[in-house]
Amino acid sequence: MQKATEKFDQRMRMYVYRYLLRNGKAPRIAEMAKGLVTSAKNIRAGIGRLSESHAFMLQENGELWRAAPFSCIPTAFPVKVGKRSWFGNCIWDALGIPAMLNQDALIGAACGCCNLDMPIEVKGGKLRTGSGVIHIAVPAREWYKDVVFT
Amino acid sequence: MLLFRSEQHIDRWCQQWNRPHGGTLSLVQGWKLARLWYGDRLSPDWRPKTVAEAEMVFREVGLVGEFWKLSE
Repeated sequence: MQKATEKFDQRMRMYVYRYLLRNGKAPRIAEMAKGLVTSAKNIRAGIGRLSESHAFMLQENGELWRAAPFSCIPTAFPVKVGKRSWFGNCIWDALGIPAMLNQDALIGAACGCCNLDMPIEVKGGKLRTGSGVIHIAVPAREWYKDVVFT
Repeated sequence: MLLFRSEQHIDRWCQQWNRPHGGTLSLVQGWKLARLWYGDRLSPDWRPKTVAEAEMVFREVGLVGEFWKLSE
């Protein structure tokens, strides 16, 4: 049987994704508390549990930083799906947004070295345009010890 | 995880940031990885992948070797 905390975390996770999809931005902690009819303390505890898997991460100001694959703050990886747009945390996450939504997308990627425009189009579940090489700077075991460089 | 025009641009970036060359994958592999990793994320029943499951995804995408190992 599912524990009460697991049920709560599941509700909260889905609330954050639905909010992101509807509004193009992440909810603030206070909005989550209001939306889920609970306290900010409970929300922070839930995010703490979800952060153990790194699916969600917090900024220093206590608000959401990452609700994978979405970045809750602007990044160099804008992803446009129809008229809506979001940001990925990195190229993996930017590709993760159309993968998660199973929708066509335009990813505004650029070369990490020289910033040359390298747009990527996903259409019908396939890469239609896009080129280049993806580089991960940090070995898999250390990804979450050094999230910025990963 | 960044996208680069070529291996030369990766080397230049590594030099610039004083980092060793890491792991690389093609954009096609990146798309496959994204689909396997995030394809089920909107399911209410989603749960984090175990280390073994994550390593299986890497293997499916062709990412093998010490760099991609999560288990100790």
